[in-house]
Amino acid sequence: MTIAPTIETERLILRPNRAEDFEAYAAFYATERATLRGGVKSRDEAWVQFAAEIGHWTLRGYGFWAVEEKATGAYVGQVGCYYPEGWAQPEIGWLMMAGFEGKGYAYEAALCARAYAYDVLGWEQAASCISVGNDRSIRLAERMGAVLDRMHPRDGKPDQYVYIHPAPGSASGAALEALQ
Amino acid sequence: MTELRTITTDRLHLRPISPADFPHWREFYSTDHSHFVGGPRSAEDAWWKVCQFVGHWSMRGFGYWSVETKEGTYCGRVGLEQPHEWPEPELGWSFLPSATGKGYATEAAQAVLDDAKATLKPKAVVSFVHKDNIASIKVAERMGATADAKSGYDCPYPEHLIYRHPMGCAA
Repeated sequence: MTIAPTIETERLILRPNRAEDFEAYAAFYATERATLRGGVKSRDEAWVQFAAEIGHWTLRGYGFWAVEEKATGAYVGQVGCYYPEGWAQPEIGWLMMAGFEGKGYAYEAALCARAYAYDVLGWEQAASCISVGNDRSIRLAERMGAVLDRMHPRDGKPDQYVYIHPAPGSASGAALEALQ
Repeated sequence: MTELRTITTDRLHLRPISPADFPHWREFYSTDHSHFVGGPRSAEDAWWKVCQFVGHWSMRGFGYWSVETKEGTYCGRVGLEQPHEWPEPELGWSFLPSATGKGYATEAAQAVLDDAKATLKPKAVVSFVHKDNIASIKVAERMGATADAKSGYDCPYPEHLIYRHPMGCAA
């Protein structure tokens, strides 16, 4: 079983998701906010997905971290390296709980996840698929230097923009290293 | 984090699920052999199902093992499962067509039940078995489980029967 390593950034701790994080996760998926991230889910559906995302680490060797606010220990969301079976390419994903946006936490955590993907996992490219209408995440992808590559139309769910991140070692990548 | 143990029986080895197991499940869920356990499923859904079995250990401290022969031939899965809404832990098993008819399911499931009685000490253990799944009904009955029409809750799977396992001392 592969368990997420714990990584510290300036203000955050990326650590494994645990059973006690489920309440916050289920609360997110109970609200309309979730329509832009896979759809609203019942607690039962959210539980299965939460467990499966933990298992993603074992099947791929990477996955989603829980993101904790260093100062308070609060569960502020998730960030990670994600590549389920059948997906076109591996991606960097993020999810922020209500009340923790607008602090740059998603940016700080996503930069860390991308650095992990490039430096530890050896990815040569990373994408981020973002639902049409998720303007906050689009701004985050652009702030990370990712560029819109194509549309990914979907049946029954919002279409997605596929953003491609700057390659490892590129100018934006170097800027990232300077930040770390 | 839950320490993942292994269990050894006369002929079988129960070990943590590994990424190399997935192709077996992709194949299994692609055919009607998976009819009694929620299949057929797409490769994507089968992949998430395996992920879910792994993550279940983090959520509950118990879950599914992969089963292989002592020679290392992959046979299937067995374990205890209790997703969020289930009122009781369920002892489940699912074996590849190549590994059925040898008594492996009974041997593996009995080992898990005995282990649970010794470690987790659950108040009750049930098995949800499709009403037409004769082979699995036989496994449950061989273990001494009986169909329970008075469980007080609806089986999560509408076509399944609830078998209740005896909770006496481990053999």
